[in-house]
Amino acid sequence: MKGTHMNQAAAFHRLISNEFLKLRTTRSAFILVGVAQLVVIAGASGAFVSGLDPKDPETVRIGLAHVGLVAVFSLILGIMAMAGEYRHKTITDTYLATPRRGRVVGAKIVTYAIVGAGVGLVSTVTSIATIATWMGVKDAPLDLGASGLWQTMVGCFVWNVCFGAMGVGVGALVRNLAGAISGALVWIALVEGIVGQLVGDSARWLPFRAGGALQGFASPGVEQLSQVAGGLVLVGYAAAFVAVAVTTTIRRDVT
Amino acid sequence: MATIAIEGLTKDFGDHRVVDGVGFEVPEGVITGFLGPNGAGKTTTLRMALGLVTPTRGRALINGVPYARLAEPRRVVGALLEATGFHPGRTGRDHLRVLAQITGLPGVRVGELLELVDLGPAADDRVRTYSLGMKQRLGLAAALLGDPEVLILDEPSNGLDPAGMAWLRDLLKGLAREGRTVLVSSHVLSEVQQTVNNVVIIQDGTLRYSGPLDALPGDSLEDAFLSLTAAPAAASTSAASQ
Repeated sequence: MKGTHMNQAAAFHRLISNEFLKLRTTRSAFILVGVAQLVVIAGASGAFVSGLDPKDPETVRIGLAHVGLVAVFSLILGIMAMAGEYRHKTITDTYLATPRRGRVVGAKIVTYAIVGAGVGLVSTVTSIATIATWMGVKDAPLDLGASGLWQTMVGCFVWNVCFGAMGVGVGALVRNLAGAISGALVWIALVEGIVGQLVGDSARWLPFRAGGALQGFASPGVEQLSQVAGGLVLVGYAAAFVAVAVTTTIRRDVT
Repeated sequence: MATIAIEGLTKDFGDHRVVDGVGFEVPEGVITGFLGPNGAGKTTTLRMALGLVTPTRGRALINGVPYARLAEPRRVVGALLEATGFHPGRTGRDHLRVLAQITGLPGVRVGELLELVDLGPAADDRVRTYSLGMKQRLGLAAALLGDPEVLILDEPSNGLDPAGMAWLRDLLKGLAREGRTVLVSSHVLSEVQQTVNNVVIIQDGTLRYSGPLDALPGDSLEDAFLSLTAAPAAASTSAASQ
């Protein structure tokens, strides 16, 4: 038999590098991250043109919080990594190279948590640059040390990391690319709000609301978790989706 | 022991039994044709051999172990399957780079294979611009990338023009001469007749023949194929169930 037996850490590292190579060799990720930056710029600008006091640190936080909302793009990237392979049937070659399918999913989770971190980081820089520009225009001083600003920054970053990993779980569970992406978007835009009304205070445990808690400030009239609890709930959702997928859909025949 | 051993493979999709107790061995150093009409169960059998479809019963061994237990499977087995896909936005070269990286092969191997399958000039075009024949060549390059001793090719001549088919024939003969195990499925008899040494014939999910081409009964492969794939008890009248 040709080839030597690699140790498992080296093999897993190779799998993660392979996921990054797949990501770099198509354009979709670059386009999505670009669109996310437009959302961040528009969101940060909105806080300053909507009549809020530019000298109030809360205005800066509200502008910056849009970095959290682009976690939706991190989620879509994660979904595409898994369901996209089924869509384009590249999953056949992927499983032929790595017959232990759980390892493929594991490598994608790590990869897309890192991708989510990248989206969060780039978006934070874009957001702060936008905010600094507006503060210059409005002649207000930007104090990055203002209380709570770092909390919002870190929380929004973590939201992106968690949604990147969760996207892989959703994609693994649904496997149909169009279904998984539209399902996720419909959930966020419509279903979670309706379910939230039905379940009352428990709505704070729903995934998008838990992500919102990571932004680190209370919205009036919205019952939400603490920042740390919000992050843990998202980790829990990601783990649950992956656990169910690895024991069910991922084992199914690839025909 | 670079052989494929199929042992009593059975697969049910719901109530439908698509492969029913199929068993055969594929020797090394020759080309084995895997023949049967469309829907006979060829693709499902090959996918079970590669660990992509879980058998209901039976097993398939490569070098004595199931595919999933091979340490570096792509260096042992090269596979081209009908449903193998490409990301339409990725270039042919990048498709092979992704597979070379996961197999632990050096980047120069990608260029070598692109030359071998004559895709050099189109290597940096996105796959969405490729013809069916070009995709088939890219799939063959992917199968051969790891210099595997076992090749499992499902309808490899799909989409190839006559010159491409002649090229493929020579390529496969050369690979078998080097001592590799080559299993090629096809539903086009005339095309395999000039290439294969061994044949495995299945119909309705059951094995009808496994052995040397020249030991087949009848005057021609076509005669033999038609009588072997006719209804179960040879002379029955329900032959046209397909």
